[in-house]
Order: sequence, then structure tokens, then C-alpha cells
Amino acid sequence: MEFCLFLGCNTPAVRPDVERAIRATMEELGVDLIDTDNYVCCPAFGSFPSTDEESWLATSGWNLSLAEEKQRDILVQCGSCYSSLRMGREHLMHDKKMQKRINELLEPTGRSVQGGSKIRHVTEVLYREITPAKIAEKVTHSLEGLHGIVQYPCHTLFPSEVVGFEDSPREPKGMRELVEALGATVDSYSLERQCCGGAGGFMKSTPEQAIQFAKNKFDAILEETKADFIAVSCITCLMHMENVQNTINKQIGEEKYKIPVFDYNQLLALCMGKDPKEVSAITNMPRDAIHDHIAKVAA
Amino acid sequence: MDLQTEAVKDLWKDVDRLGDLLHCFNCSTCLSGCPASYGDPPLLVRNLARKVLYGLEEELFEEDTPWACVSCSKCEEMCPMDVKPFELILHIRQWQSTNDETRVPPSITEIYRRGYTQAVATNDELRAELGLKPLPTINKNEEQLKLFQEMLMKTPVVAANDYMFG
Amino acid sequence: MSEKKPTGKVLVAGAGISGIKAAIELAETGYQVLLTDASTQVGGILAKLDYQFPTDHCGMCRMLPMVGREYSSEYCMRKSLYHENIEILPFTEVVNIEGDAGNYKVELKKKARYVNPDVCNELGKCIEACPVEVDDEFNHGLTKRKAIYKSVPHNVPQLLLIDKQSCTECGECVNVCSTNAIDLNAQDEVESREVHSIILASGIKLYNLRDFEDAKSYAVSPDVVSSLAFERMLSGTGTYEDGMIKRPSDGKPAKKIAWIQCMGSRNRRQNRDYCSSVCCMFALKEAVLAKEKGGPDVETTIFYMDMRTFGKNFQRYKENAVEEHGVKLIRCRVQEVIRKPDGTLQVRYFDPLTNEFFFEYYDLVVLSTGQAPFEDHKKWAGLIHTDLDPAGLLTTEPYSKVKLAGKDGLFMCGSLMGLTDISEAMSSGIAAAGEATNFLTSLDVSRKFGDDTPEPKTNDRSAPKVAVLVCQCGEFAGAEGLDTKLLETELRKVKDVEAVHIVESMCSAEGEQEALEALKKSGCNRLLIGACQPYMYRRKLKDVARKAGFNSSLVQVFDILGVSRRGLHEDDKTAWTRRAIKEIKSDIASMKEKPALHVQSQPINETALVIGGGISGMQSALSLANRGIPVHLVEKSAELGGFAGNSIASTIDGLAPMEMAKDMKLRVFEHKKIDVHLNAQVEQTEGTLGSFESKIVYNGNGEETKPIYLHHGATIMATGGHEGKTDEYGYGQADNIMTQFEFKQGLESGEIDLSETENVVMIQCVGSREKGKREYCSRICCMWAMANALKIKEKNPDTRVFVLYRDVMTYGFLEQYYTKARLAGVIFVSYDLENRPEVEIVEGKPVVKFTESVLDRPLEVSPEYLILSTGVDPEPSNKDIAETFKVDLNRDGFFMEADSKWRPVEFQQMGTFLSGVAHSPMPLPDVIMQAEAAAQKTFTYLSGGEIQTARVTSSVKDALCVRCQRCIVVCPFEARSYNEMEHRIDIDPSACQGCGMCAVACRNNAAEVSGWSDRQLMSVIDEKLSDDIELSTT
Repeated sequence: MEFCLFLGCNTPAVRPDVERAIRATMEELGVDLIDTDNYVCCPAFGSFPSTDEESWLATSGWNLSLAEEKQRDILVQCGSCYSSLRMGREHLMHDKKMQKRINELLEPTGRSVQGGSKIRHVTEVLYREITPAKIAEKVTHSLEGLHGIVQYPCHTLFPSEVVGFEDSPREPKGMRELVEALGATVDSYSLERQCCGGAGGFMKSTPEQAIQFAKNKFDAILEETKADFIAVSCITCLMHMENVQNTINKQIGEEKYKIPVFDYNQLLALCMGKDPKEVSAITNMPRDAIHDHIAKVAA
Repeated sequence: MDLQTEAVKDLWKDVDRLGDLLHCFNCSTCLSGCPASYGDPPLLVRNLARKVLYGLEEELFEEDTPWACVSCSKCEEMCPMDVKPFELILHIRQWQSTNDETRVPPSITEIYRRGYTQAVATNDELRAELGLKPLPTINKNEEQLKLFQEMLMKTPVVAANDYMFG
Repeated sequence: MSEKKPTGKVLVAGAGISGIKAAIELAETGYQVLLTDASTQVGGILAKLDYQFPTDHCGMCRMLPMVGREYSSEYCMRKSLYHENIEILPFTEVVNIEGDAGNYKVELKKKARYVNPDVCNELGKCIEACPVEVDDEFNHGLTKRKAIYKSVPHNVPQLLLIDKQSCTECGECVNVCSTNAIDLNAQDEVESREVHSIILASGIKLYNLRDFEDAKSYAVSPDVVSSLAFERMLSGTGTYEDGMIKRPSDGKPAKKIAWIQCMGSRNRRQNRDYCSSVCCMFALKEAVLAKEKGGPDVETTIFYMDMRTFGKNFQRYKENAVEEHGVKLIRCRVQEVIRKPDGTLQVRYFDPLTNEFFFEYYDLVVLSTGQAPFEDHKKWAGLIHTDLDPAGLLTTEPYSKVKLAGKDGLFMCGSLMGLTDISEAMSSGIAAAGEATNFLTSLDVSRKFGDDTPEPKTNDRSAPKVAVLVCQCGEFAGAEGLDTKLLETELRKVKDVEAVHIVESMCSAEGEQEALEALKKSGCNRLLIGACQPYMYRRKLKDVARKAGFNSSLVQVFDILGVSRRGLHEDDKTAWTRRAIKEIKSDIASMKEKPALHVQSQPINETALVIGGGISGMQSALSLANRGIPVHLVEKSAELGGFAGNSIASTIDGLAPMEMAKDMKLRVFEHKKIDVHLNAQVEQTEGTLGSFESKIVYNGNGEETKPIYLHHGATIMATGGHEGKTDEYGYGQADNIMTQFEFKQGLESGEIDLSETENVVMIQCVGSREKGKREYCSRICCMWAMANALKIKEKNPDTRVFVLYRDVMTYGFLEQYYTKARLAGVIFVSYDLENRPEVEIVEGKPVVKFTESVLDRPLEVSPEYLILSTGVDPEPSNKDIAETFKVDLNRDGFFMEADSKWRPVEFQQMGTFLSGVAHSPMPLPDVIMQAEAAAQKTFTYLSGGEIQTARVTSSVKDALCVRCQRCIVVCPFEARSYNEMEHRIDIDPSACQGCGMCAVACRNNAAEVSGWSDRQLMSVIDEKLSDDIELSTT
């Protein structure tokens, strides 16, 4: 299995340890990742998709054409990148006129979009291709004894006919089974399916309500679960769910919300015995307890 | 208000050329689970669809709420009439950006300038510490970046606002 | 009827209520019916419903025959059904159909039950022994059942079966079965049958929460249930013994309950762009019942999109639910249900009245699950070798809802046509039976009723001699309970008991023969039979008795196993036997006093009178005349055709009423069996079912014509209706304010030119669904609005069309026109009565001001045309006709049928029927279906040559009667009337159903029901109360 790795903007710029975790774990699972040279922004929904159809699809097309040139599918972790690329591809494949226009625009590059490369989310490949059972076999440092909760990236669920890969998008199971494969107990809670609220302009345009929205979710987590950690698989979920806990703590003047948040591949890397200093190094929410626990269980 | 004098009858054709929004029967499904509907003012995509349908151009022009959308697309999943509310939000933003340069998001100038919204590939030292090689990004490849910029320059909003991309 | 002709035979595939109705109709008409059902029982969805709108009771038995009751069962239909002409095959699937019209060969697969119902004694030891427990489908998983089980708790007999999927074949049930009824290796059996005609009535499947992705956002807890599951919670035989409403998760009382409508319906994204039609009324009924059962502190909320109260009396039921019961209605479709840690269910909704979001918490959420995709249509299309329409449905002949296109002798009814309510299921079942009899009439087949053995004449005055026959049910009664020796000895001591005989098993051929011989020898004139399952065997046992020379009314069957064991030790055979003896003795006491009752035959006049020459009346007349029934068709105007037939050129679904009526008129005038009376009215009528005499007066052209007198056996009211009038919204003040009909005519004639038209406004529900005005939904106005709006958009796409509505009533497949209209750009704006549109006339033109409900702001527009939907009014002449025929009108001026659900085309007054808009406003295909149904009901009564009364009817002892007429008021069947000439109470024995209401109401004991005399009942009571010293001391 070989994919063009599409990292987007946030991961390589802000959280390269996640990139490291993805590369390390996928390699060990027999997935070869090749770099998508000269890729550009997916584009994020707040950029070209919010200005005009043509610039959006031209940018999507640019990225798609790079993968098509290499005759590989694209592997993505960031939820927004995944959804934007998939919706872009969907539009291009359904609108032949637009596809023709975009290929005209791409002509100077010598590349084009024909639909040869598909967009795959990293959890889809882990869940569907590798399977949780295989992953469990690779675990050397189990999360046994820890409780976690999972945050499904909305962008991998909705609209299900465009982006979905779960048997039941309204009752997703992938992330849960993947985390269980690492030995942790996954708790359920009432607001499990609620969006993290971190993407788009919600936080920027109406921060007070956006923080309250997130706080409701974290209160439900604290009340209803024994979560030691939160597993996500989207760079926005990762950053937002860390940051917003700190923001709320600052507002209420106490360290009430302090659940560490991990990208799934980071947890997987730790469970494969990778060095936390490489795969789990950058965070706003201390992860020492989890790192220590893993070390202790392994020892 | 008087619809004859104050509404633009065919506004919906400008905003949502496929006409998905016409299917809307105001059931409110899109509203009740929308994260940004918790905002103040709330994002009410059903009401936006209505404004487009009536042709309330000036009001639509002033609407900031489409920009609060978190793009989770749950409305799209749950809409019984397949109105595609999230795409309608993008269409309204596009319509606003096309008709009002102050609506053009600054992030597109960043993407134009360096390929990304963030400063990707300026942290090679950190990457090395983590055991990562430098990324083959477009901002290190002048020829490809130029091709990318030339391509964008031919697209409507970039072409119309070329002064922003100097 | 020649002996040689074979009896006409019809397969009715599907034994839900419409299939049952079709079967009963055919059976009543004298045809043989094969009634199959793929499920284990008959009754379909209705088997699960204890309560039905609008009475909130069950009324299923009201579909049983009203005359010729000898041939049919007369007990609760939810338990089971019996009719001599109906062979019922549950758990049977139609797997092949060959041949063509009039000559079909069908292959039926009888699925293996693994329990032989002929020998099973239903004691259920096997159920106790079975170790497997799975969800009970009948109660929607709210309760558990075993792998061997009774599929419907209230059925009689209780046919057991094994669910082979969950059965572990451990053999425990086989071990404990004392009658060897279980065969774990039983196989499906395929048998071939020949029939002349087939009616498809397999119904639909309801949307199953577990099968559909979109339900998962709501069904997040066991406390979120489907509407049918909720129905099981309400049921006395359902999930909770007391029928109380509880949370399935923890059994706590559910005090706050929400309904979420349109689950799986009105969903274009899921390819279900249709409305399931019945869910709104279903939810309203459930909400009212929840309040009634749970007490006043129960809160009920329905989240809905449009409250579709389109049927007769629906609107009033809704208003009552809201105003009297406090059911809360919120117009918002919620996106998800969230289960809080304490189990309460959180719903966030956007309140359209305040334009704010609210959280609400419920104990129970009911999802109004509508129609699932149509799977059966595909199966049937394959079996009958036909193509489906683009929507995946079986196609019917134009204008017909029941006649399958291009397939003579093949019909459908019930929810196979799209989810129907009970009334429509009934109409369609009768109509399908009508079409089938029409078809069978064209074949060389005959009809037959019951057994031809003449009934023995018993001399009432001879002294009672009672024979007692007890079946000991194989070994069972002897071995496990009944001390037959003691029984025999004690019964022989009873006065007037001349013979006591114990048979080992009456169900076996030998047992039957043994009984027959013993009875012939007995020389008795009264017979009491003690056997198991009298529901099932009563008819058979009575047949044996008749062959032995007993009058059926002097034979009583006693449920020997039904004697209560309460308070007795399990092994105490003697005590239980004593109880049985006591019961039997009281039955003997009653029998001794009983007179012999006989079936009376009344000759009938086979001519029918049809009042109203519109499409409905013409359809009924043609249908009857084609079957050889002479018809008088009376029309008050100078022309046949009625409102639709003379003025509506086209409908939205592509029908052409005027063209159709033109053709019908020709056929009516040419038909030898039809006499048309134009400019004519019925002035007076007298008589009862089978023999009416009506005076017809003519009023044409100012010429006085002599009245004539017609003799007829039955009457159909098909008086129709017309578009309502209004003075609201400036109607009459400007040329461009018009009704939907006027606008349509303007468009069709070309008088209205839309090329320059910028805006058109339509206002729906003008003077409708409003107290003190038209208090009902006229059902067709929304479709008229859709049709006109689409026409406008077609002629000038630039015209803006605003439709101001309260609830869009595009029920069923009509939903597609609503979707089409929106897609064409028509803007629909809802308004309510507190905030209705206003029209001002400025310089002779209307200016419409209305509140845009979504944006909550006032808007105004000056349309070139303002079109008002003014509803449908009943004919004013209904009042006189109702008086003449002694039938009732409802508050709205439409005729009132015998039962709004179960008898939609009949009046209580026997021999009078109704159809079409005379019943209530309805679209053309429904009018035709009802006309066909009314014709069939008429045919059933008139075509037999005579009418058989019931054995048990009421009588009046003239000497005791004070003529207070109380009995006339209470009689629910209008069987009693006051004869002014003779100054006495008359009883129509064909109408009397022997219910006994008159006997209860009468203060002088003058009203009596035969077979239920006071003396009889008193002697039963005496016997029950007697202290039988001898027995209790033995």
C-alpha cells in the first residue's frame, strides 16, 4: 500500500510531531507514504471555497493532479483537508464543464485531473484496510488501565455519501474500535457526537458562545466518563480541544479541564514504543501522565 | 417591506445556480443541531435560504453569520430535502466575496503568496529534532509557485482583486 | 343459479383489514375466498392497535356482515375470523401465479410452523420448557418471547409456532408436549390452487427504526420507540400488564412524551418523497391516549412539519386534542435526540413562535415511523408479469385505485396503494371486492351460500330434554383435570337431562361419528356440548348437532377448559370438576328456558335508487347495472355530470374529469338497466331494506310533471358538492380576486394572460378549518393550488407565486406535487389564524400584507391575481334528503356514515349507502373508489333475492309497551321505528343486530331480545347462586 501523504498547513507548521507519528506508524504497518511535492492548501473552506467555485476547484485540482501524476491515492489526517479535497473532487467529477475549465488552468503545469486518485482519511485506512485486529498485534506498549473517549472528525462523517466510510455514519465505530485495539477502555457520553466547534469562524465570530458550546461537551465528559485522554484524528480537533480547555480554565480561574488530547497516530506510535519526544512532543496540555502510564505498563 | 420594490426576484439564481435551496420546506432540521446556531447572533441557515429565495439582497449582503459556520456538514447529512445547506453557506460567502471586496478572506492572499495559510516549512530545525526531513513544499520551488499563482490569477475573485495579490 | 357452474373463487393475498374486508364482501356475495397472509396471523397492523381514531376504541368487528350472519363469526375480530365462504391460510405466501383472467393457477407456500394446530392444546407447557429467549416482534422488542411462542397474544385459537432461526433444537418442547403436536423436522408445503380472480392486499411494511440510517440520530435509547411500539405499550395485551406508559429502560412512568413526525417520510434525500398520510392522526391519537391513561400531569408534545388533518373529522379531532387535552404542537423537525446520563431525552428545537432555541427533556420519545420503501410491489410485478411505474409502484387503470392496469381480474386494495387509514382501507377493500364481483359476473360462475341441509323444525312447546356431550380432548381432560366419572354421575342427576355422553376427541373423524350417533339416539331437543376452544369449533360442533336433528339455536357450546382453576390446588381434579359441573348446570338452566330461534328470509326488490348524477352516482349506477341490477338514477339538475364532470377539464395528476364524464353519460343513457330521471328529486320515501317506495317529483323547465313512485331495495346517496363561496380577502371587490376554480377556468379558456404578470398570491384555507366556518379541510384545495401554481410557472417562469398556507395537505404521493411546485420556484409561506394575511383594495387592486413566518417580518405585495382557496361545500339539498331517508348529516352538512372508520359507505339505516363528496370532499380517484364500494355493498344486499335475518333479534310485547320510544333513540342500528298508523313500535329484523340496547332502555320489560329472556337469565343466576350441598360435601 502506497499513498501520497497530504499534510495540509497546520500539521507541518504547528504540530510536526503528529506528522512524525503518522510516518512512523504507517511505515510499521506496511503503508508507504510518499511526499506530495509542491502541494498547496487543500484549500480550507474559509479560503477559496468561500470566494468562488473556480479558484476552489483550481486549488483542489492542483493537489489532485499531483497525486494523479504519481498514480497514488491521497492520505489525509486533517478533517478539513480531507473534506475539502473530497468535495472538490466530487464537484470536478460531477461537473464536466468545470473539470474541463480546471484542466485548462492546469495545462501549463503539464498535469490534469481525471479522477484517478482518491482521497482517503488515515482512520479509514487504519480501520478498513489495516483493521483494528492487525493494529492490536503491533501494540507493545498497551493503554491498558486507561479510559479514553473518542472524537470523530465531522468531516469524515458528513455528508456521508461524499466523505463517509463508516457502515453507519450516524453511529460511527471506527475510532472507538481503533482506540480499543490499543488496550484502552473507551467510554461513551451523551455529547460524543457533538462537533468540537473548532473549525470555521465560530470561535472567531462569537467566541463567548463557542467556548460555552465546547464547555458543555467537556462538562459532559467530566461528568459521564472516566476519560484519561481524548483521541482525535483531525488537526483542528486536536488543537481546539487542547486550547479551549486552557481558555475555560483561565476564565474560571482553576485547572478544572485538563484532559490530554492525542491524535490517534500519536497514541498508536506510543503504543508501538516510539519515543514520546518525537511523536508526542508538542502540546498545550500536559501528557506526562499518559506517557508515564504507558512506560509503566510496558515495564 | 414591499417585495416589488425592495426584493431582487432572481437573486437565488446568482447565489445557488443549481437551485438546491428551492427544495427547502422550512422544516428547521438544519437548525436544531448546528454548532454555530449556538452563536450570538445565531447562524440560521434556514433563514438564509429564505432570504435568498425572496431576493432580500441588501440584508444578505450584511449577513456575517455565514462566516461563523464550522463546516461540520451535519445539516447536509440531516436535511430531508437535500438542500445542501452547507454548500448554500459557501455559495452565500462566494456571492458576498464576489460582490464586496471587503468580504474576500485574507487567507487566500496567504495561499497565493506561499501556497499555504500557515508558515509551512519554516521549522526545519524542529523537524530535524523530531526526526523529520525537510518537506518538499511549493514555497521552496519558485517555478511551481509561479505556475500556481498564474493559475489562480485566471480565476474570478483573484483576477477581480488582483491588487491584493501584488 | 345452475348447479353445474363452478362457484366463483377469489384469492385475496394479504389478511390485513383491507384484505379481510374484501374477503368478507366477496363471501357475503356468495363467492368462495382464499385468504392468505404471509405472517402468522390475520389482522395485519391493526392486530396491534387497541385504540383507533376517532373513538379511541377498537371497532374492527364493525366490518362483520350485518345480514346473513349465520355464515360468519360474530365475535371480536382481533381474536380471529370465521366465515363459511372464506378459507383462511395464515403463514402462507403466494409464490407463483400462472394463467390469465378468469383462470389463474396460484402456487401457495405454506410455511412450516413446526406445531400442528390440529392437535396442539395450547396449554403452553412447551413455552415454559423452551430455554431460548428473544425479542418479541409483536411488542416491538419491548418484551421477550421464547423460540416456541404465540405470535399474537389475543388471538383465538392461539396458534403456536417455532421460530426456527432462534430455535436451538434442544427438544425440550417435544419432551413436554403431551399431544405430540411438535415436529421439528416439518417442511414448507407448496400447494396449487385455481382461482378466477386475485386481489392483492399485502399492505406495506412500516419503516423500521433499526433498518434505517437516518433514525439512528434519534433512536439513541430504549426509551425512543416507534409509534407502533408505543401502541403496544398502550395495549392491555401489550408490554405492561396495566397498559400504563413507562420508560422501557427502567420501568419508571413516562410523564413527558414527545412525538417526532415524518420519520422516514417526506425525505427526498432518502428517496422517499412521499407523505405516509396516517402518522399525524396516529400521533394525535397517541398523545390524547397518553394523557387519558397517564393522567393530567402527563405532558405531550408533537414535533411536526405540517399537521395533515385532511380526512373527515380530522381537523376537529386535532382541535380537540389541543384545546381539550392540551397536546402541544411545535412546528419544527428536530435533528437529533440526546440521551442524558439520567436517561432523560434531550431535544433541542427552534420555536417558530418566538424564533428562539429551546432545550426540552422527555421521558419517552415516539418516532412516527411511516411507510417503508415498497418492496411488495416488486414481488407482485414479478408474479403477475407486469412492469412497475418509475416510482416503483404497480400501475392501475386510469381513474381507478384498485384495478391493476392491463390485468383483467387482478385488483389491489389497502396500503398496497400507499399507506391508508382504516376508512380508506375499508372503502378500497369493498371496492376491490366490487370490481372482482363485476369481473366474476362476466364469467360463467355461480355463487353459493352455506350448507343446504334444511334446518330441523323443533316444536317449541315440547318439554325440554337436554343432552350433554362432553369432549375429553384426547387424554388431556381425563388425565390432567376433569374427573369424567364424577361429571357424568352428577349431570345425570340434573332434571331434564336425558343423556350424558363423553367423547374422547370430537375433533377426530371417529369422535365426530360417535357423537353423531349418540345424539341421534338420545331423543333430546336441546344440546349442550362441552369442548375446548369453542371459538374455533363452535360452528363445526353445531353442524354435527344439526345433522343429528337439533335446531342450532338450541345447541350451546361450553368451553370446558376455560373453567377457572383460580384458588384450586393444581392436582385437585375433583374440585375443578365440581366447578365445571356448576357452570354446566347453569348453562342447562338457561337452555331449558330457551325458545327455538329461526332464521327468517325477507324477499327483496333488487332495484337500486341512486341519488345524484355526478361522476360518483354514474359510477355506482353503471357498476350495478353491469351486474344486472336495475337502477334509477335521479339527478336534480337538467344534466348528468355534476360539478367535476361539467366543469373540470383536467387535474394535476393528468386526469380529465369532463372527458371521462362525457363517456360515462353516454354509457348511462344507453344502458338498458338504467333509468335516468333528470330535473328530479326524491320527495318522500318509505320502507325498509329490500322494499322501499319513493316519490319522485320533477321540476324541469317550469312544467309541472306528474310525480312517480319508484320501488327499490336500496338507495345510494351520491349528492356531491361544489366550490365554496367567500366574502373574505376582498373577494367581490376587484376583478382580479378570484377562486382557484375561477382562475383555472380563466387560464383554460385563455381569458387570463400571464405574459405580463409579475406576482400572484394564493391564500389557502379561506373560511376553512376554522370554528364557525367550514370546520374541516376540503382536501383538494392544496392540489388545486399546486396545479394552478405550476401552470403559472409553466406559462411564465418569471411570475412570482406566493402560496399562503396553514398546513400543506399533500398527503401520500401528492407530496411530489408540493416538491415540484417548490422546485419551480413557488414560494410557500405559512400563516396561522392569529396572524392571517390582510388584503387592502388600493385603486381597485388588491395589496396583500402578510407576515413571512420564517423571517418573522411583514411583507407586502400587489399581485396581478389574488387567488382564494375557498374549499368545498356540501350540497344544500343534503338536508332534505337526510330527512326523507331518516339518515343523519354531520355538523358540516355532509352525510354521516354508519361508522367513520369501519363502515364508510353505509348508513346505519339499512339499505342506504353513500359515496363521493356526499361523504366528504375527496379527489376524483377516491370518489370513484367509494362509488364502486357503495355499489358493491348495494349489490351484496340486492343480488341474493332475499335477505336472511339474524336468529337473535329483538321484539316488542305490545301489551307492555307504553310507546315512550326510548328504544328507538338508543338503537344503534336504526332497526326500530314508530309506526304512527298502527300506533306501535316496528322492528326491522334485517337491521336488528340483537345487541340488546332496547331491552336495557325499556322500563316496562316490553323490549326483549329472543334467546335472552329475563326468565332464562334469572334461572342462570339462580343456578350459579345455589348452594349445592351434595357437591360441596362429597
